[in-house]
Amino acid sequence: MTDLIQLLINGLAIGSVYALAAIGFVIVYSATGVVNFAAGQFVMFGTFAGVAMLLNAQLPWPVGYGAALLAMALFGALFFAVLYLPLRASPVVTIIIGTVAIGITMQNAALLAFGSWPFRLPSPVEGVNLTIAGATISAHAVAVVIVTALMVALLWLLFFRTSLGIGMRAVAQDIKAARLMGLKVNRLLALSWVLAALLAGIAGLMLGPMWFADTSMGDPIALKAFAATIIGGFGSLPGAIIGALFVGLSEVLGASYVSSAYKDLISFGIMILFLLLRPQGVFGERIQDRG
Amino acid sequence: MSIRIPLLVGAVILIAGLILSMLLTDYHLRLLNLAAISAIAVIGLNFAFGYAGLISLGHAAFVGAGAYGVALLTTLFVWSPWLALPAAVAGTAVLAMLIGVPLLRLKGHYLALATLGFNVSFSIVAANWIDATGGTNGISRIPELQIAGHALTDERSYLWFALLVLAASAAVAALIHGSRHGRAMIAVRDDETASSMTGIDVPRVKLAAFVLSSVYAAVAGALFAFHMRFISPEDFGYAHSITYLAMLVVGGEGSIVGAILGALLVTFLPEWLRFLGSAYLAFFGLFVLAILIFLPSGLAGIRRPRSFRRHELIKWPALVAASKEARP
Repeated sequence: MTDLIQLLINGLAIGSVYALAAIGFVIVYSATGVVNFAAGQFVMFGTFAGVAMLLNAQLPWPVGYGAALLAMALFGALFFAVLYLPLRASPVVTIIIGTVAIGITMQNAALLAFGSWPFRLPSPVEGVNLTIAGATISAHAVAVVIVTALMVALLWLLFFRTSLGIGMRAVAQDIKAARLMGLKVNRLLALSWVLAALLAGIAGLMLGPMWFADTSMGDPIALKAFAATIIGGFGSLPGAIIGALFVGLSEVLGASYVSSAYKDLISFGIMILFLLLRPQGVFGERIQDRG
Repeated sequence: MSIRIPLLVGAVILIAGLILSMLLTDYHLRLLNLAAISAIAVIGLNFAFGYAGLISLGHAAFVGAGAYGVALLTTLFVWSPWLALPAAVAGTAVLAMLIGVPLLRLKGHYLALATLGFNVSFSIVAANWIDATGGTNGISRIPELQIAGHALTDERSYLWFALLVLAASAAVAALIHGSRHGRAMIAVRDDETASSMTGIDVPRVKLAAFVLSSVYAAVAGALFAFHMRFISPEDFGYAHSITYLAMLVVGGEGSIVGAILGALLVTFLPEWLRFLGSAYLAFFGLFVLAILIFLPSGLAGIRRPRSFRRHELIKWPALVAASKEARP
């Protein structure tokens, strides 16, 4: 029983990180129609922004986290200008290959800057453990779940309670109509990239203390985020969260109860099953003809 | 379409390859071998993606299926390589059919992610099913190919063989492209509804393109296994699927010459960029991005006038021709 509680919390924590990556992926996809294959590298950049600020520059953690997130926001804007603007009229595949190409550049730029030796990013609650029903749980895992819940609540407020967020939803629904209504479409599209980069940055900063920070950590995260969005329903934010928690739990529970070698096969097998039997996912995509 | 163009394509590949094989060093011959093998796989991917418009991110898994097929049959069951090759290719085609029937109902990025999931699953199984695949240690001691008692062990003679296969593959692909089957694939890519209205069986054409692409992939995989004589799961990861797709897009999708040019360029680029040292891959990504932005129809599109690019060139004639032939 205590084992199960530990596994559940760890699964939820890792699932929360996937959820933030998946939410960023979905925000960009619904606003711009771009399937961002560099989504995992965004998270990796987030972790290494943390390494640069906290370990290399030795900043205290509130300043370091702020600086890392500022760098991520700027990077999101840069990505918008360098990749999205020139390629926005191209076919889907060209954009997919474009994001893959940028992903390769990002990973190898990080490799050049930081080397292949893994880093250990500290947590603000380093070494603190909690005891819940006899199970020992790291405070960091609990903090990750809480921060993610907080981010989801903030996103909900942004999208449903502010004119900025409502404008972003309008752009996601119909760019032409949004432009005719006088919305500054390009600015809102850029904002969705910035938001995705920020969420990936937060995911990366929280993931750093759980895994070793390694420049090749991006691809596995991207694959999990893809599986999460397919399972939850492509383009659906609640779907991305549910799917990501499911992927995180199945990874941790599968590794412990089934087989650690085949743990990833569980999420991908279920992803393929969803694609075949229910391509709209748990929550479904509004525009039905995409499947 | 006449038989002339396929013969011309094949002859140019052979002559250019023969001249090169006399001039280059062993190391460059090795790269040329790898480029020729990749080119066969990319010509195959061109059926699925370039003609039928199916975004496959699982092509490397089919290359792997061909490679593991011949490796297992020749090492574990001690078959002759010449018997193992067609058996592995046929097995891969059956696998592609089994995968394709359910997966090809998906479109666009759904298909891309599903085939990606297939490739990742293939890698996981290849790395963990140790009894059959040797796990991450791979399979070594794959026998060499022999032609009339002459073993293809050195790079030069293997290159001649690989070029022969490449020339034949390209010629067959050009024949299919010119036939009504090729036009049906292109019609399906451009407009599924319109092509089904003209009597084209859309799911069947898609499956045919997918299986055909896997057959080319399996031939490339088998050639890879006999060339390296050692294979391991990392040779067939999804990153390689992306490389094949990048080769095709850089060369120019929908073009056989483009597929070969793309395979050559992407294989030799690391050599030419060696002066960049470890920054090479970071530059490579930017290079591919620059090609996507500035040469949207790839290297093969350079010679075409701007007004004739890509879809305009193929779309209407293909549909009209397909509609004429589909009439009873």
